[in-house]
Amino acid sequence: MYKHRNSQGSGSFSWVFQRITGLILVVIMIGHYILMHYTPESGHTYDAVLARMQSNWYRVLDLTFIVLGMYHGLNGVWGIFRDYKLKSWQTITIISILIILGLAFTLWGIKTILDIPYVQTSSGLLVK
Amino acid sequence: MQVTFKILRFNPETDNEPHFEEYRFEGHENMTVLDCLHKIKWEHDGSLAFRRSCAHGVCGSDGMRINGRNHLACSTLLKDLNTKKTIVIEPLPALPIVKDLILDMTDFYEKYKAVKPYLINNTPVTEDSERLQSNENAEKLFESAKCILCACCTTSCPSTWSNNNYIGPAALLKAYRFVFDTRDEAADERLDIIDTPDGIWRCHTIFNCIESCPKEINITWHISQLKKELSNREL
Repeated sequence: MYKHRNSQGSGSFSWVFQRITGLILVVIMIGHYILMHYTPESGHTYDAVLARMQSNWYRVLDLTFIVLGMYHGLNGVWGIFRDYKLKSWQTITIISILIILGLAFTLWGIKTILDIPYVQTSSGLLVK
Repeated sequence: MQVTFKILRFNPETDNEPHFEEYRFEGHENMTVLDCLHKIKWEHDGSLAFRRSCAHGVCGSDGMRINGRNHLACSTLLKDLNTKKTIVIEPLPALPIVKDLILDMTDFYEKYKAVKPYLINNTPVTEDSERLQSNENAEKLFESAKCILCACCTTSCPSTWSNNNYIGPAALLKAYRFVFDTRDEAADERLDIIDTPDGIWRCHTIFNCIESCPKEINITWHISQLKKELSNREL
């Protein structure tokens, strides 16, 4: 039986943001694939990645990738669960797990990127 | 030509579970599935139960699953089916069976009623005037107004299969019919009604509703317009 539960908070933000993040992720994913799979000359070694990470723009791009990817993925999983009739304890359990997992992996990802050292010398050369 | 029908039968007084029964008879390519069901009922098994009324695709009574696809029995000709194989007839899914092909439609109509499927306008009309609408605005509603409430769309939707609390495409189409009616004054009220976890956001644009609609209404497009309207209102 359909229950009209007003003031539950609109689902429109989640719907719109899922699409916006999806579009952004498609663009970033294409860039990621071109860089990592179709341009081997760009370098896939630790040194090459470290060199790229000296650019703050690149770090911001990766941070954006992590945050939007986690939101898009976990919101999508939540959307799948919401397609089923859930008891309130199931709803609370699932959303709690998703929020905890989302925060943990996002913070882990952010920490990983922020921990990458700036190793350029004043002459611009990398120090191993 | 010889035609074989396999029909899902269920008599709540004698059966624990629905079961298939086969009927073989002489048919003609211009017969509709409804004609065939009549032939079976009148010449083979009078206990077969199914709904029908106008028999011309207008009343929406004889929606059923024909070879795995929701459609109207009166609008499906034998020549459009592969009669060399057995034709499988089942009731529409996701609704409780009353008997054979007859379903309990209460839940479907409750969802339909939930969106207030009628014009709401509390502004009095003067004696010498009427509620006018431009041709352009009327054209926006024509397609959605073609719905005959056969329930083929709602029962074909996987979101309904997994969660029968979902309001369903038929009710959402009716919501569109009045939300975008310039004479109506309750658009916000209807948008509130469908903006719930079991409401419009359970539609994942799967397009089954369009495939099954006997009136060829682009239901998914109409639902997307409601989503856009809600997003514009909320954001």
